[in-house]
Amino acid sequence: MIYLDSAATTLQKPGSVARAMCRAVTTMASPGRGGYSAADSAARTAFECREEAARLFGLENPEHVIFTCNATHALNIAIKSLVKAGDTVLVSGYEHNAVTRPLSALGVTIKVADGTLFDPEDMIERFERMLTPNVDAVICTHVSNVFGYILPIDEIARLCRQRSVPLIVDASQSAGRLSVDISRWNAAFVAMPGHKGLYGPQGTGLLLCSAPACPIMEGGTGSESMLQQMPAFLPDRLEAGTHNIPGVSGLLEGLRFVKRVGVKNIGRHETDLIRHMAKELSHIPGVHVFYAPQNQSGALSFTVDGLDCEDVGQRLAAMNIAVRCGLHCAPLAHRTAGTLQTGTVRASVSAFSTEKEIGRFVNAVKKVVSNQ
Amino acid sequence: MLYYLIVCRSLTYAQRTAAALERAGITARTLRSPKSISGEGCSHCVRVSPRALDEALEILHRAGLEPKRIFSAQSDGTYEEVGLI
Repeated sequence: MIYLDSAATTLQKPGSVARAMCRAVTTMASPGRGGYSAADSAARTAFECREEAARLFGLENPEHVIFTCNATHALNIAIKSLVKAGDTVLVSGYEHNAVTRPLSALGVTIKVADGTLFDPEDMIERFERMLTPNVDAVICTHVSNVFGYILPIDEIARLCRQRSVPLIVDASQSAGRLSVDISRWNAAFVAMPGHKGLYGPQGTGLLLCSAPACPIMEGGTGSESMLQQMPAFLPDRLEAGTHNIPGVSGLLEGLRFVKRVGVKNIGRHETDLIRHMAKELSHIPGVHVFYAPQNQSGALSFTVDGLDCEDVGQRLAAMNIAVRCGLHCAPLAHRTAGTLQTGTVRASVSAFSTEKEIGRFVNAVKKVVSNQ
Repeated sequence: MLYYLIVCRSLTYAQRTAAALERAGITARTLRSPKSISGEGCSHCVRVSPRALDEALEILHRAGLEPKRIFSAQSDGTYEEVGLI
């Protein structure tokens, strides 16, 4: 199979990830819940994972690295810690439902900076204009999951700093591919999955905290057990119940892989592949590619004249090629870019994707178009 | 006295404490606090030898890792709290 759905989850992982998970399942218990070696081993793994993540993402204190089930879970904690009913929240026009649905459920006023696709100057100008004194928080994705568009997050963060508005960054598509630094952004929270660019298993995510956080779930933490309130300190405050230690073990190995290969190298590799893919696809008559060489990460969307995007996906699947079609759980992004009615076909790469695979994918798209 | 227990607010804090001490060459082991000293319920602590305590406290102070409480383990199995100055 040619796997081009890494923006959903990276299917190909370093071999060390599965080995670590297997080891954890057979040798590790619950961290902090006992004084025996299997509990110690789990505790050590969790701590090493927090330390590795803290180093990679600009956090001084590993206690501020929270394990979550996924980026959605992390975003829910961040949003519900910062935002309450009746607040006004400014978001980019490229947010995922993981941001917009919690906001809608809370009953907040959502202002959308719906800047033109691949136009960072326009986005900055809109944030500048819309970041008015009544805005209580800003939530912005670093990279659009639909278009791979790299948003001007440094400048947006600067505006938030200048106007003292807390910022939540959704790093779902950038962690492990681009520089993600909570200190540089002075962000209140940064949320990310463990199973995409960090090469951990599904069921893992991270929340980086620089602001006071509220739990969305209460339960046992192995600390302050006499009290009926969640502990005031991190990470315990946000981590009720038994940890996903096999997941954390896998994520630790994923983080080590990213560190070993290098974020810059992974990002460059993916950008090169996307550039190649865009160039080749744009030569196919009837194929419309959404591409901007200066600010695009490892995902690329396209449409085919006269073909429903899901049909394109089905035909590619029949040729053993995996892509993602439709709205990608981000109707706001499609509305902003003008593709809400058609959806798009999205191809996304990882450190394990190759130029040869891109060539075979392009040939397959040619077949789909010519057999229309 | 047999050893000291530096009580920490959480497992992760105890792990940070132990890691800072180990980096400085002081043997430090993270363990669950004995029930009699665990305060509001379960907690974690870091065990250090009596001769290492002063240096350990200095290192932790420099690292901004302030202990919650410190206890000395007695030969009769009890723990005595040590005042933090």
